[in-house]
Amino acid sequence: MFRKILIANRGEIALRIIWACRELGIKTVAVHSAADADSLHVKFADEEVCIGPAANRESYLNVSAVISAAEITDAEAIHPGYGYLAESAHFAEVCRECGLTFIGPPPEVIRRMGDKAEARRTMIAAGVPTVPGSDGIVPDVESAATIARELGYPLLIKAAAGGGGRGMRIAGAAEELERQFEAARAEAGAAFGSPEVYLERLLLEPRHVEIQVVGDSHGNLVHLAERECSIQRRHQKLLEECPSTALDAELRARMTQAALTAAGTVGYVNAGTVEFLLDARGEFFFIEMNTRIQVEHPVTEVVTGIDLIKEQVRIAAGEPLSFTQEEVSITGHAIECRINAEDAETFRPSPGKITTFHPPGGPGIRLDTACHAEAVVPPYYDSMIAKVIARGNTRGEAILRMRRALDSFVIEGIRTNIALQQRILSEEDFVRGRISTGFMERFLLPPARSTTG
Amino acid sequence: MDTKELRELIELISRSSFSTFELEREGFRLRLVKTDGPPHPAEAPRPADAAAVAPPLAIPPPPAEPETAATDGLVELRAPIVGTFYRSAGPDAPPFTEVGGRVRQGQVICIVEAMKVMNEIESEIEAEVVEIPVANGQPVEYGEVLFRLRPLV
Repeated sequence: MFRKILIANRGEIALRIIWACRELGIKTVAVHSAADADSLHVKFADEEVCIGPAANRESYLNVSAVISAAEITDAEAIHPGYGYLAESAHFAEVCRECGLTFIGPPPEVIRRMGDKAEARRTMIAAGVPTVPGSDGIVPDVESAATIARELGYPLLIKAAAGGGGRGMRIAGAAEELERQFEAARAEAGAAFGSPEVYLERLLLEPRHVEIQVVGDSHGNLVHLAERECSIQRRHQKLLEECPSTALDAELRARMTQAALTAAGTVGYVNAGTVEFLLDARGEFFFIEMNTRIQVEHPVTEVVTGIDLIKEQVRIAAGEPLSFTQEEVSITGHAIECRINAEDAETFRPSPGKITTFHPPGGPGIRLDTACHAEAVVPPYYDSMIAKVIARGNTRGEAILRMRRALDSFVIEGIRTNIALQQRILSEEDFVRGRISTGFMERFLLPPARSTTG
Repeated sequence: MDTKELRELIELISRSSFSTFELEREGFRLRLVKTDGPPHPAEAPRPADAAAVAPPLAIPPPPAEPETAATDGLVELRAPIVGTFYRSAGPDAPPFTEVGGRVRQGQVICIVEAMKVMNEIESEIEAEVVEIPVANGQPVEYGEVLFRLRPLV
């Protein structure tokens, strides 16, 4: 087992990893930017190293600074968390070359699944259902038009190097194709360094359902059921839950089997998530695989009782999984609400100093956060400041618990989206489980004006 | 460290088999080197006499206010990257500079090694080196003070 792990991340996930290491008896090194010098993850780690100024590119994304910090502290392994360098095959390779264990899958697997077009080809070859679309990169508008005639409209133009909902454009009809195609290529080039795009059928009212998988280096690969993540605004998840109201045992069996096939075909090791779109008729399609731990992993942890971060560390240390597939079961229902430092109505970021902070507690409530009273939320980083996870014996109880937890979660000094989350939890469609990826768009529409007279 | 502690320390090291002894604390640095010859209890000079003390004991005069951070016109040169600090280009090479030495603008003043790359750090000003608060071979983080310089213009 490792003696010392460096955490190449910040905020709540850095703290989460520190907790897992504490329980495993492993020393921790926190790296931080100058802007995060007073952060909680810095305070609770055993050692801390300032690696650069506030800007992400010069600190948390700075490979040589992170590696240098690992060298001077004699860290043996690096946990990249999520975002930042977590899905950088280059970073995983550098770790390997420097004799550091990257806690995640091998760089070749990261690279293969990170290229969305390549991942699609891999899935098609493995017999995993994928969204109908172009088989590979579409180099120009002429080929796009040919493929579009088969696919039909509306269709999605997606950046091959993108992900997480970024770098996508919709062509609603043939007249729009050229304009949207060129725009998508330009945006992809600017945002991801590659203008290559591919096409996909745009599914209507689909649900985003993802399957958690975890594999060790001894050939064991298991699933930990699904997470329903359809409540998204501009492709950023807001609320996740397990189990999904749309999955019965038979559909769950088919989807988890597909996920295991997907992960198995690339020789996946460590924790990962296979994302699917599920349409109303029970047909599901692979969209991408995230080769890292996810923000919403606590949802799975509280219904299965399995600590995914500890499992990640054990796997990276060469140990076999601490449980078998038969031992995995979902008990009860969990919901996670992401709390962002933003205005609940305009969604503008709201950095600043937190003056009052009263966290929620009580039965079935878990809080993952690095915030506290007097903490300063800096403007340079992601606006998510906390995750509240509510578990109940039923979905109804989980919703009630989350509502009462959010009611008692007091944060002053900055704006948060707590009020927005409370409105979602009270929305009839949500309570009845009538959700899809179109939920937030409808939810945020201004109310229809009633006619008078 | 007061004079009594200093005298005790010097006596302790003199009686020991150490030939070289270095001690560094904020605002204070002590280096003792034994030459051949019969060991004898060394005298601790008063700070005012420090400059007149004969070798082998070379004790720099303690700064007037050792607890104060670099102020009064001193410029702090901070590590621009995280890594390991080196005073010279190699283990057998002479240090780029010493306390009391002068550096020109653009002159290499130290090295910070990161991932096996020896990054040469240059002084941005012409200055006298007043203090070097980090030791050779010490890991340094981004922003750590490596030199305190008195600008010369």
